Amino acid sequence: MHLLVEVGTEELPALAAPELASALGERLIGALAEGRLPHGEAEIYWTHRRLAVLVRDLGDRQEDLVEEVRGPAVAVGLDDQGNPTPAALGFARRFSVSQEELYKRRVGEKEYLFLARRTPGRLAGEVLPELLAQAIREVPCPKTMRWDDSGLSFLRPIRWLVCLWGEEIIPVRLGNLVAGRTTRGHRFFGPPKVQIPTPSWYLGGLREAKVEASPGERRDRILAEVRRVEEEHQVQAALDEELLGRLVGGAEWPVGVVGTIPEEFLELPAPMIEATLAAEGKFVPFSRDGRPAEVFLGFRDGAKDKTGVVRQGYERVVRARLRDSRFFFRHDRRQSLADRVRLLRGVVYEGRLGTVWERVERIRAICAHLARALDLPAELLDRAAFLAKADLTTEVVREFPELEGVMGGIYASLDGEPPEVAQAIGEHLRPRGPNSALPKTKLGAALSLGDKLDAVVGAIRVGLVPTGSHDPYGIRRRGAAVVRLVLELGLSVDLFAIIDATFDLYPGGLGEPSLVKTFLLDRLRAALQRDFTYDVVDAVLAVPRGDFLGARARAEALTRLRDEGLEQESRPYLADLVLAFGRVRNITQGCPQSEFNPELFQEEAERELWRAYLRAEGRIREALARGDYEGALRSLHGLRDPIDRYFDQVLVMTDDPRLRQNRLGFLCAVRGLFLEIGDLSRLVMS
Amino acid sequence: MKDFQDLVLRCHDYWKAQGCTILGPYDLEKGAGTFNPATFFGCLGKKPWRVAYVEPSRRPTDGRYGENPIRLGLHHQYQVILKPPPAVVQDLYLGSLAHLGIILRDHDVKFSEDDWESPTLGASGMGWQVWLDEMEITQFTYFQRMGGVDLDPVSVELAYGLERIALFLQGVESTFDLRWSAALSYGELMFEQERERSVYNFERASVERVRAMFELAEAEAKDCLSAGLVFPAYDHTLRCSHLFNVLDARGAIAVAERESQIARIRTLARECARAYLALSGEVHAPVG
Repeated sequence: MHLLVEVGTEELPALAAPELASALGERLIGALAEGRLPHGEAEIYWTHRRLAVLVRDLGDRQEDLVEEVRGPAVAVGLDDQGNPTPAALGFARRFSVSQEELYKRRVGEKEYLFLARRTPGRLAGEVLPELLAQAIREVPCPKTMRWDDSGLSFLRPIRWLVCLWGEEIIPVRLGNLVAGRTTRGHRFFGPPKVQIPTPSWYLGGLREAKVEASPGERRDRILAEVRRVEEEHQVQAALDEELLGRLVGGAEWPVGVVGTIPEEFLELPAPMIEATLAAEGKFVPFSRDGRPAEVFLGFRDGAKDKTGVVRQGYERVVRARLRDSRFFFRHDRRQSLADRVRLLRGVVYEGRLGTVWERVERIRAICAHLARALDLPAELLDRAAFLAKADLTTEVVREFPELEGVMGGIYASLDGEPPEVAQAIGEHLRPRGPNSALPKTKLGAALSLGDKLDAVVGAIRVGLVPTGSHDPYGIRRRGAAVVRLVLELGLSVDLFAIIDATFDLYPGGLGEPSLVKTFLLDRLRAALQRDFTYDVVDAVLAVPRGDFLGARARAEALTRLRDEGLEQESRPYLADLVLAFGRVRNITQGCPQSEFNPELFQEEAERELWRAYLRAEGRIREALARGDYEGALRSLHGLRDPIDRYFDQVLVMTDDPRLRQNRLGFLCAVRGLFLEIGDLSRLVMS
Repeated sequence: MKDFQDLVLRCHDYWKAQGCTILGPYDLEKGAGTFNPATFFGCLGKKPWRVAYVEPSRRPTDGRYGENPIRLGLHHQYQVILKPPPAVVQDLYLGSLAHLGIILRDHDVKFSEDDWESPTLGASGMGWQVWLDEMEITQFTYFQRMGGVDLDPVSVELAYGLERIALFLQGVESTFDLRWSAALSYGELMFEQERERSVYNFERASVERVRAMFELAEAEAKDCLSAGLVFPAYDHTLRCSHLFNVLDARGAIAVAERESQIARIRTLARECARAYLALSGEVHAPVG
């Protein structure tokens, strides 16, 4: 027999309902497991007024509980003939077990008598009421509220409860409610009271009452309607997961209603129209050939809008909203972006980091360095940085914070700023997430990099280092974005040099540059570990540099050489290098000075390694200048034999301190050549 | 088609039938019906409380010189408090809409998540904006806290946006075109007030004098509290709250001081709540 639990509530927030429903499912299954009740699969359904779990094939009795109980030690419980003593008999009697059922088991050093205590499972009907009540009470809510004197609290008031096992009601008590078989149909289009005969009836029966309890079905219906509109009107929907989630959670019986936007509003920028329509999950906006379309789609909760009254209502709301947005837009247009920049003196960025004006100054300084490093037109990048935050003072961005950046780009364009500047401003907040789009232009990427670097350095400088799950300023996200920008757009820039050069611009005085660098390296590590093995990443990051693109190239070179197993004289290529490096590294532990005088070389092996070093150094510098890390690695190979002979023939730790220092110094320099690629000793060679 | 005053009368009619005592608006400026002592104090304590009233609500920053058809610096709320709220409270609310002449099955009615908070009153609640064909017409809130006090029992507040509902019922696009009565339009009554108030709030108000008024009101509130005069203290608290809103519209609240200004008002509100609850042991205890 199946079990149905339905918790009927007042309207739940659309985006919280799915998690709440699965949490209810998890708690119920957990409770059944704890209660040793066998059962089959569970199905979860929900609308914004009900959370339902259907558990198939619930057994009618708990599985017996079998526990081992330890009794007296064998030495005490059995006599010399192996017969039970009174102690053993008493033990058996206490648990209503015959003496034949006693058995021996060793615990540590001693043997004891044990028996298996079997508690017969109770009937499901006896244990379910408390189990289910407990499970429902334990559903975690993001926020809770009270609504009556029952002491219950939940995300929204719970108004009814259905607990049905087969045909039988399980009388679960929750607050002032007692479970029954009565549910409610659609608020306006279904019967107020609906009797549920059995759990299997639930989905279909609710459909008769105009409630679609399956979120998957509602989602399909909504998407089908969106597609229908797209085809009929030759348009494309602007529908993201959040809007879809709000629509799925916003109605028990979603029915599409198409409306029209008056021509006069269609000249507003598309992002504004979309933000206006999609705000609070109300309407789906559409575009045609990249420009705003005159149709929009709303979802009414209930029957089809036969009389067009709902459509009229929707259109009135859309007109009012767009009129408001247009008002904001026109108001904004009274001042150019450039004129607005000084207003940023009055917009706080973060208490200890001052105003947005000061942030803009810092971003400009960072961008000056970026322009040089990335060979970009400095004046254009500076102009973009100067204007990038001005849209924070506009009414449109105040009303629609998600349009920050986008509106800046639009307003810049309308102001007649150079198109590259407008484009850069428009895309400087990308990427917004780990999978979202990157800036399309290099100028935009540089500005985005400057924006995020400032945020990260600033936060760390005033001690806002993210911990665990606490990252209110999104510093980790921005750090990850820095890495994405550099790696995915191929930006060859030494981030650390820029951080060092601009560090004094930051007030605060908590985090040092090293903390910032470590933070960014952690983000780089996370990104590299997605594509490379951990040991390669370790090897590369053991030599921390600000050129993140170079780090990836180094990782690629190491991986390629290792995987291809290039052979030279039929011995694995990279393994050779690792061995050679290992010898050099071990002996040069803890001596950072690579000063030496070649005149002091005595042995032939020293001079041979010296010559090999000079050749390799030249080639390596050339290869690195080209970004050819693989070539650099290959050039190192010429050192392998000379290094072997060196260690065979030269006593590095000689008594003469001058010679010893000279030899160590030279070997440090040799080590340094390898470290241009990475710390090869970290590589795991199988 | 009902005019604005019919709308108000119908609301009174319905909620009187539900056992609410119909009050008038409070005679001091405030931002919402919540600030009316009938709500602020009514929600505190244990005694049941059902009231309903119209409340002209001033939000200086929302002023638009009368140029915006739906945004106003002063709009009218219809406020209902149900304490404790009955289990069928949502149905009661929907019944009120039907009583106003809205045929619910012809329209799209949604309860859309909106948790409400007033930092100046130390108040918060959970509930919804009610949408009628996707237009907000009511704030429906289960208050959890008022004046920093956890409420027991909780109250439901229904704050109807009367102008919005009137727009809906009369089928016009601009608030100023609404009929208030057979004799007067909304515009005739309110347009010039809207315009002048916007000029005052955005351009004319003397920052120096209004700040001084704030300081004086705060001092008076503290003095009243020290003398055990809760209601006059609350009156001055309301003044502080409104004067803050005026300074805000005037652009005179620096970002850095915003939080501390709000905290000063909240402190007063908390003291008033505490003082009120202490009175409930008295012989002529106020309700609650």
